[in-house]
Amino acid sequence: MKMNTDKNWLKNMAEREDGCFVSVGGLVESLEQKEQASNVIPMKPAFVRFVELARRERSLSLEQFAEKVDVDLVELVKIETEASYKPAIRTVHRIAEFLKVPQKKLLALAGLLQMKDPEFQTAALRFAARSAPVEKLSMQEHSDLEEIVKLLCEQ
Amino acid sequence: MRTSVLLLHRASGEPVEGELFDEVTVEHFLEAQREWRPIVLDAAKRLVEAGAAKEEIPRHWHWDWSSKESDLRVLAYGFVGIAYEGRLQGLMKLETAGRSGRIAAQKGKPLVYVDYLETAPWNIKQIASVLGAKPKFGAIGTRLIEAAVRRSLEEGFKGRLGLHSLSSSERFYLDVCGMTAVGKDPAKQSLLWCEFTPEQAEKFLAGGTA
Amino acid sequence: MNQKRTMTLNLTDQEMKVLEDLSNQKDLSKTAVLRQALRLYQLVEVKLAEGGKLFFEDQKKEKAELMVL
Repeated sequence: MKMNTDKNWLKNMAEREDGCFVSVGGLVESLEQKEQASNVIPMKPAFVRFVELARRERSLSLEQFAEKVDVDLVELVKIETEASYKPAIRTVHRIAEFLKVPQKKLLALAGLLQMKDPEFQTAALRFAARSAPVEKLSMQEHSDLEEIVKLLCEQ
Repeated sequence: MRTSVLLLHRASGEPVEGELFDEVTVEHFLEAQREWRPIVLDAAKRLVEAGAAKEEIPRHWHWDWSSKESDLRVLAYGFVGIAYEGRLQGLMKLETAGRSGRIAAQKGKPLVYVDYLETAPWNIKQIASVLGAKPKFGAIGTRLIEAAVRRSLEEGFKGRLGLHSLSSSERFYLDVCGMTAVGKDPAKQSLLWCEFTPEQAEKFLAGGTA
Repeated sequence: MNQKRTMTLNLTDQEMKVLEDLSNQKDLSKTAVLRQALRLYQLVEVKLAEGGKLFFEDQKKEKAELMVL
């Protein structure tokens, strides 16, 4: 395949292309619908619960946690309160760093990375299903938290 | 197939030699997934927070190239990549069977269908600027469309090309490339079906538009 | 990967007629028509193997399943 070698054509097309969104593919909304309809087990609830429990275990308020982790407080509130909210990758990286868990697995838990590990997905879902109101961590919650941390840190 | 292709280096304003190839592998998919998506996601979030207009926000950040691995073995699918100094700058998936024209004059005649096309986010002005940088290379999209048209010629389809355009990309396909807007397709999220006739494809390659 | 090999194909008069008609209708060479046929055949097989089904829908919107073995 011989491509056009005309430099003026190249410069002209590059200028006209500048500022355009050049892409082809389905819309985000339809992909979101597809994701919901698919058989992928949603792990996001596990991520939300993990962040909340980890924060409470350290007796930190949302504000204190946001400050310590160096993430936006508004985003942290959204993570803990809005089920459909998708956190920034940087935020998840920071949280992983602060809580000393593998970034890749936490990204998967946050729904930012696809991970084809049915056992991991199922375990994460089970963890999320055992939800409780906002209080000091009980023994069970301590135990649950240890379990998910162990899962995240597994090779 | 591997061939050299001139790209525009934005900083210097001068052409540089990149590489166009069809021997796309899983590694290229993973590279796009690993290096492009986080940047697009980040930029999109910042644009949303800054209250940018809907059409300014990239809407393709959910594409998952890693699920396309099995497609590499299907004859009806073709892949094209563009790289500069070994780093992926653009990726495209074509269908070369089962699709035909919708413009009256070419109804039923086979064409090459562009199923996916993506340029590395650091080459897109809106994304680069929200991240505090200038776009790196120009004409990546043009080169991918050019490759698709040339593939259509090789297949004997005379340059006929079809694609469903995202609303934010319509300006590029219609005004810059010179494709015909045929109509919104209810079977594909009401995206606009755009098509090249052989004459339009020839004009595009020669540097003009309809 | 892009190297080509040559094959001789024996077709009946009827098959050749169909090939020529398709070639005219689709504005394709006869070789290109056969290449399309091969690609479509593989594509259908791949989709079926993934659990998909192939249907024809008539004007009355009634679907008839077409299985390719």
